[in-house]
Amino acid sequence: MAWLVRRIAASIAIVFAVVTITFFLIRLAHGKPFIPGGDQAVDPAVIAVLEEQYGADKPSHIQYIAFLRQLTRGNLGQSFALQRPVADALAEAIPNTLILTGAALLLDFLLGLGLGVYQALRVNRLPDVVLGNTTLFIYSFPTFWLGLILLLVFGEWLHWFPIGGKTDPVLCPAVDSFRCTLDLMHHLVLPALTLGVVGAAGTARFQRAAMLEVARQDFIRTARAKGAPERRVVLRHQLRNALLTFITRFGLAFPFLLTGAVLTETIFAWPGMGRIATEAILRRDYPVVTAVALVASAMVVAGNLVADLLLAAADPRLRSASADVT
Amino acid sequence: MRTWARLSIVAAVVVAGACERRAAGCSGDYCGTLVMAAVGEPPTLLPTSTEEVVARDIAEQLFLKLADVGMSTNTIGDEDFQPLLAERWEWDGPLTLVFHLDPRARWHDGMPVTAADVAFTFVAYTDSSVASPFRSAVRRLASVTQRDSLTAVFRFRERYPEMFYDAVYHMRILPKHLLLSVERSQWRTAPFGRAPVGNGPYRFVSWRAAQAVELAADSTFFLGRPRIARLIWRFTPDMQVAISQLIADQADVREQLATPENIARARAAQQLALHPYPGNTYGYLGFNLTANGDSGSPHPIFGDREVRRALTMAVDRARLLRSVFGDFAKVPPGPMSTLLWIWDPEIRQLPYDTVQAARSLSARGWRDRDGDGVRDRDGQPLAFRVLIPSTSQIRRQYARLLQEQYRLVGVRVEIDEVEPSVVGERVSGGRYDAVILARVNDPTPSSGVPQSWTVGGRSNYSRYRNLAFDRLVDRATSASTREQAQPAWRAAMELINADAPGVFLFALDNVAAIHSRVDDVRIRPDSWAALLRTWRIPSDRLIDRDRVGR
Repeated sequence: MAWLVRRIAASIAIVFAVVTITFFLIRLAHGKPFIPGGDQAVDPAVIAVLEEQYGADKPSHIQYIAFLRQLTRGNLGQSFALQRPVADALAEAIPNTLILTGAALLLDFLLGLGLGVYQALRVNRLPDVVLGNTTLFIYSFPTFWLGLILLLVFGEWLHWFPIGGKTDPVLCPAVDSFRCTLDLMHHLVLPALTLGVVGAAGTARFQRAAMLEVARQDFIRTARAKGAPERRVVLRHQLRNALLTFITRFGLAFPFLLTGAVLTETIFAWPGMGRIATEAILRRDYPVVTAVALVASAMVVAGNLVADLLLAAADPRLRSASADVT
Repeated sequence: MRTWARLSIVAAVVVAGACERRAAGCSGDYCGTLVMAAVGEPPTLLPTSTEEVVARDIAEQLFLKLADVGMSTNTIGDEDFQPLLAERWEWDGPLTLVFHLDPRARWHDGMPVTAADVAFTFVAYTDSSVASPFRSAVRRLASVTQRDSLTAVFRFRERYPEMFYDAVYHMRILPKHLLLSVERSQWRTAPFGRAPVGNGPYRFVSWRAAQAVELAADSTFFLGRPRIARLIWRFTPDMQVAISQLIADQADVREQLATPENIARARAAQQLALHPYPGNTYGYLGFNLTANGDSGSPHPIFGDREVRRALTMAVDRARLLRSVFGDFAKVPPGPMSTLLWIWDPEIRQLPYDTVQAARSLSARGWRDRDGDGVRDRDGQPLAFRVLIPSTSQIRRQYARLLQEQYRLVGVRVEIDEVEPSVVGERVSGGRYDAVILARVNDPTPSSGVPQSWTVGGRSNYSRYRNLAFDRLVDRATSASTREQAQPAWRAAMELINADAPGVFLFALDNVAAIHSRVDDVRIRPDSWAALLRTWRIPSDRLIDRDRVGR
């Protein structure tokens, strides 16, 4: 329990540090809010009024204190560029990011786990060699490139999937919610594939290695010597122990998915947090950038915490090690 | 296995059912859904608060002006203006303009549009706490008052040819009864901006953040029921995705295709028709005439007029244009887009002449003394940096081609690709050598040219200063007819071309791609969506998405 409290306290400290660093770093970067670029002439008087209205004219440390005060009241401030409360914008975007990353995570783990186990059971045979090289090939794909290729082939050429967006704006919400849900799933396929397939290739390689590592352990040999059926040996003994690697990867997958989501959401016009973050950075929308850093770091830290808890639950040795430390 | 097969069939049927658009539904002359593939999303739909292009296009449907320019885009006088909210107007003396509102005009909540709304709108546009980007555009208006519920009186500070244009072009009339209670400093973030109540041909239906805005035709619109029932602006952050949506028949309209590659792709799509129209954008390589970061002293290279002229003559603008735009742009005869009526290919310009350019540079002391291929003087190489926004593929292409052309005359160019906000910060602060910028023109040269090129112009980022040029621009903008203004504009353009504060590189010819089922497409060059309410889809050409109704 004490270990858990310490982990939560450390997690909060990490999130706080990330937010603080982001808050000051984005203000140190070149470029200013309310200046859209050199092409548009913006009246300096207009910029001055806007800076005053949004509090961006004050020194950074004063803005930081104001930000912390607002944060304690659950207020993330007003977006400079979106011209609405940051909390409202994120409240709409976060569920979309969770849908996308959730689908990608599911694909990543189900496909990765299945392929890894399949390869391990056919180690050094033709399927293992072919899948090994294929997963390595896919793992080396940049996410944005894969996204563009999928969009071109399955969207523009074959017309199998919609190009961008979360739902068809003509159909939804004009038709009933069931159809819109199916439409959403139709729109989700390509971005989830983009984000999930590359991760699945990595997961498959990790899982294969873990399965082979466990296969060399004494208890596997013992189980076979005792006459346990092969299916039971694989599922109950080998796979179960190899899942520890899988759980660790679950924690590591969050940062990967969130960074991948930034590009994927932009390519597929998916209305999530990553897309908001990209536009906020380009437009120096300080409140949104800081809030996204807050939410993203909290999600990553929480993901790792959940992974640690799952590991502790799955492996009693880790629980006792944690107790020893505390 | 059989179970799986059955489940797959059931799933396929369900998905197919979901994908089936409503085949029944709307039919007749007032059906149809147009999906616009928009790049970017506006922050608000309140017209006072943003000048973003997509916001303007949507506002064209929601909020009317008193009158608007006609297809001629003539902004001098009032003859070519078309009545909208005002059914007529008259001059009451040299400085007073009286508008009579159309008594049939209604807000979408049913309230009548009154002169009180017009007076309220003027106050809002000029209130500094609203921080409207159009505030300076109405600076020569002294007041707007209400004579009676349907008569609004505009008083000007001075008499000039474009008084009428200033009175109507930038102000979209706003509902006083809905906005009066909103604190002016809060207008930008007011909920009204995300669910506006307008008076135009279309009423607001929904805005799904980062996805789409939907409008529906107002069947009671006093100037005639719009022929297309639904308009949807579909937002994407990327131009290529928008083009792909269009090609894949998931959108109907993209008003600007921008590059020859996109135009070729759209041309190959059978369901699309291409509509060329004059562009309102020109691009140029701007020289900073003052020292980088020190506006008090001249730039060591660009402060010298002869060097600027040589650097202009060293650029083969026609060749650059062909490389980047193919046939879909023109070399501008000065700082102007093809939209402007002052466009005249006969305006005198510096020729492309690398021999003369090299001779001029040598004459000014810039010679390659150390044989490294770069000219130098007093130990300093003839080298400068060109600033471009990293988001612009076209300007990246231009910068690289310019780099190569300048290399041939012994000038070293380095390219700084930075984010647009950094470009904005650096050019407005004078912290750059040269920059490739694009300018969007209003239909009148009287706003863009003084703003960008005269002393005190708020986007005169080159710090170009020639009082003779300013006088010519003054004379041109105060002429009472186009015929009188033309010689002054021509002289002003020839003077600025001779001074070469920049190399005027391209003026876009716009090409819109619109689904071929749409008829009566009329595009007003200054605002492509201004006449959307007159477009129609014949009933025998309706497709599935036209029949989906709410």
